[in-house]
Amino acid sequence: MNEEPRIGVYICHCGVNIAGSVNIKEVVEYVKNLPHVVEVRDYIFMCSAPGQEIIKEGVKKYNLNRIVVAACSPTMHEHTFRNVLIEAGLNPYLLEIANIREHCSWVHSESREAATWKAYTLIRVAVAKASLLEPLKDITFKVNKNVLIVGGGVAGLSAARELALKGFKVYLIERRPVLGGNTARLGRIAHTELKGKDVVGELLKQVVDNPNINIYVNTEIIDVSGSVGNFKIRVVRQPRHVNEKCNLCGECVRVCPVEVSNEYEFGLTKRKAIYLPYLGAYPPLYVIDHENCTRCLECVKVCPRNAVNLAEKPEEIELNVGAVILAAGHEPYEPLIGEFGYGVSSRVLTLFQLERMLDEESPTKGELKINGIQPKSIVFIMCVGSLNITPNAYPYCSRMCCSSTIKNALVIKERYPETNIYILHKDIRTYSRGDEQLYLRAGERLIRFARYREAPNVLVNPDGSIDVRFFEETIQEEVSISADLVVLSVGMKPPKDIDRIRTIVKVGCGPEGFLREAHLKLRPVEAATDGVYLAGTVTGPKNIVEAIDSGSAAASKALTLLVKEEAIVEPLVAVVDDERCSACSICVGICPYNAIRIKTYEDRRIAEVDPAVCKGCGACVASCPTGVMQQFGFKDAQLKSQVLAALYK
Amino acid sequence: MEKPKIALYWCASCGGCEEAVVDLADKILDVVNLVDIVFWPVAMDYKIQDVENLPDGSITASFINGGVRLTEHEHVVKLLRRKSKLVIAYGACSAWGGVPGLANLYSREEILRYVYHEAPTVENPDKTRPQLKTKVEEEITLELPDLLPRLLPLDLVVDVDYYVPGCPPTPDVTWKAIETLLSGNLPPRGSVLGASDKSLCYDCPLNETKPDKVLIKDVKRPHEVLADPSKCLLTQGLTCLGPVTRGGCGALCIKAAMPCTGCFGPLDEVIDYGGKAISYFASIVDYADEEEIKKVLGKILDPMGVFYRYSLPASRLRGKIILAER
Repeated sequence: MNEEPRIGVYICHCGVNIAGSVNIKEVVEYVKNLPHVVEVRDYIFMCSAPGQEIIKEGVKKYNLNRIVVAACSPTMHEHTFRNVLIEAGLNPYLLEIANIREHCSWVHSESREAATWKAYTLIRVAVAKASLLEPLKDITFKVNKNVLIVGGGVAGLSAARELALKGFKVYLIERRPVLGGNTARLGRIAHTELKGKDVVGELLKQVVDNPNINIYVNTEIIDVSGSVGNFKIRVVRQPRHVNEKCNLCGECVRVCPVEVSNEYEFGLTKRKAIYLPYLGAYPPLYVIDHENCTRCLECVKVCPRNAVNLAEKPEEIELNVGAVILAAGHEPYEPLIGEFGYGVSSRVLTLFQLERMLDEESPTKGELKINGIQPKSIVFIMCVGSLNITPNAYPYCSRMCCSSTIKNALVIKERYPETNIYILHKDIRTYSRGDEQLYLRAGERLIRFARYREAPNVLVNPDGSIDVRFFEETIQEEVSISADLVVLSVGMKPPKDIDRIRTIVKVGCGPEGFLREAHLKLRPVEAATDGVYLAGTVTGPKNIVEAIDSGSAAASKALTLLVKEEAIVEPLVAVVDDERCSACSICVGICPYNAIRIKTYEDRRIAEVDPAVCKGCGACVASCPTGVMQQFGFKDAQLKSQVLAALYK
Repeated sequence: MEKPKIALYWCASCGGCEEAVVDLADKILDVVNLVDIVFWPVAMDYKIQDVENLPDGSITASFINGGVRLTEHEHVVKLLRRKSKLVIAYGACSAWGGVPGLANLYSREEILRYVYHEAPTVENPDKTRPQLKTKVEEEITLELPDLLPRLLPLDLVVDVDYYVPGCPPTPDVTWKAIETLLSGNLPPRGSVLGASDKSLCYDCPLNETKPDKVLIKDVKRPHEVLADPSKCLLTQGLTCLGPVTRGGCGALCIKAAMPCTGCFGPLDEVIDYGGKAISYFASIVDYADEEEIKKVLGKILDPMGVFYRYSLPASRLRGKIILAER
């Protein structure tokens, strides 16, 4: 574009958000004298329909060819104003935003003079860059219709179900050898006759037989390249060592000499190195835990159907998908040894252990017995691992523990009406439908609620008896309760390999480690990375209903992408000057997205950027030793003009 | 028709650039046939006075090598600028300061103290230093030029029309530059003459031996490794500056299994040669752990000497600012 720049500058008041601390009148006068500026207008809300009209009129009246909007952050309205440029007949990339709200009026509200001076500077910088902007063309490419779902818990299953019903192909990968996630290990779900694994079973019915869904258990994601609509995924499937010929006869389990703690019973029992995770598990096959297996081959010898094969190797699989749904779930908070007596006394259990014990399929057949004795006095301590109650606790509320605790307390009261039950809490948050009634019923059944501020002390006496001491907030007195059983209502925490996954998929996280949505309120199931969606507890604690909801929501969001034939990405990508690239290859190794390759054309080697893969991070541009790698929208000359405009008036 | 007049002058230079001109071998005779040399202190007996007597603008081109370090250099280059149509910064020192430019890491006082008192080979019990004026006899006072506070590349002292890179420029580059100047078809002012517009990697015979990704696990100095002359030296951990250095030298050092030290300087788009060099070199160290990276990069004992060997005075850094110096 060689024509003389004719810049229109549109300054937004944002009500009083900007005008409250920036002297708009003075800014307008100042901007009028900047080079290439032809028109300057201000308006109360530039993003409103009349505001947009002002820009369109200006383009027409003054034949403008570059637009600067001085308003809020480009994350807010860059898209809006780019559309205005399109409607005005301009290329949308001839727009530059000067952020005089978040970067200026909001942070300098204490000084009108300083805020106004900074607005001068920010607009001067934007005008300098605008005069060097070039028209750019959006990059479009075909959308791959397949979807990868990471995580086979209820959220992942729910998302898989929706997508498959719509006819899209789903690859569902699960790190564990079994589908169902944490829900599968839960006992009876409140307000239903269903157990956790029944809920999972219902979802599985709609998933496992659907030919659109390919299930990979024992499988982890190891690499992602490409971008929205066109991801290339590499996953690695660990061997199960037991194939479909297995008919669950159990001979192998009988002979296996290895015993380890059973994570599906929260460590209440032991399991063998060859095992079925739980009754009704899918896939319905034994699995060998190869970390603990000693390769003694006893199971191979005894298997009547030759279903065991210890020679299986990990397998790497490549998948091409258009969208990725992360439903990697959570882990229950595991108290430290000694925290509230956990791991020190056999009379201290977590809520999940208690719930397993109350299950009819548990080792005690649903009988509540500690060391063979039925406890007469039970103390529940809530918020363990949550709400900052201990130094290593997380700051958030885990949302499901209040209802779950009360539900279990009621089950105990039903089976053992003579038991004294105390629930020590910071606060009761039974917010789900029907849960408040559970709370009221607990009161009616004489379950006692007491409120602590400082975390209670659990004293394990030399004779094994336990005293729980705390300061009761309501009666304002020190209280000591003698307990036969202490149950710790533990919360949720991010799964341990979440950092690995999010680094691969390029999704941000919040301070506690849960994944971060594109917008907390407006885009709760989308990641900031286009084409990546978030479902279930991977974004924070949820109950089962919420997790299933968010799975469906993520699927529906993914569908809005998948139904399109073409995806569009911003053309703000790196580009090589073919004529002058020396093929030094530095950029190839530096690119974090594998978007650059050295290609040979008629004996000439040059670097080539795949614009569909490039994310516009600029690492190659900064590292290019000869300066021939440039980035559209951020060329050296454009950035230099901004720096100079910032430093000199 | 009168032959074009040419002047050649040296400032803070090792003399290599003068040798390079002589290295044109039989072509020097072609040059002499085509031009009149009016000033060449290293080879011909002209005096400053002879230049002063020439009309302003009468010299077609002055080739000046070496950085400007003495008051005398400053005086002569300003004179040559006045007398010449074109001034050509010939060689790395003149263009960006060169190896003598690394002295900008020290103050004038530090340099004098080291050279005249502290260097291990110096025997100077009376702590004598050269004086600007020395009375030899009653009537005779000898004068020496003064040392400037720091070495300056030529274009920080006078306007420079063209640059010829190299330490020294190779005969091939020198000849191409002369040909361009004599052709009358002059490139835009400020251009580099005689060399390539791509980096050395483009000319490098080892370019095709590079793996997909150039990443290194260790840094080696040339004497620490028996380099494989058939494999990209950078991938062998040597600090080869080929990627950031203008090509045109014919990859002479590479062909002798020595890494490029950068004497042909930066490409046109690069603002700061050393900065660019550090930027790409640091980013190919293949560790995620910061401590590992520090350990590997810590093996570059003299980063200024490696990355700014030829360009410190022309860089954004310029040198070390010594506040104590008056």
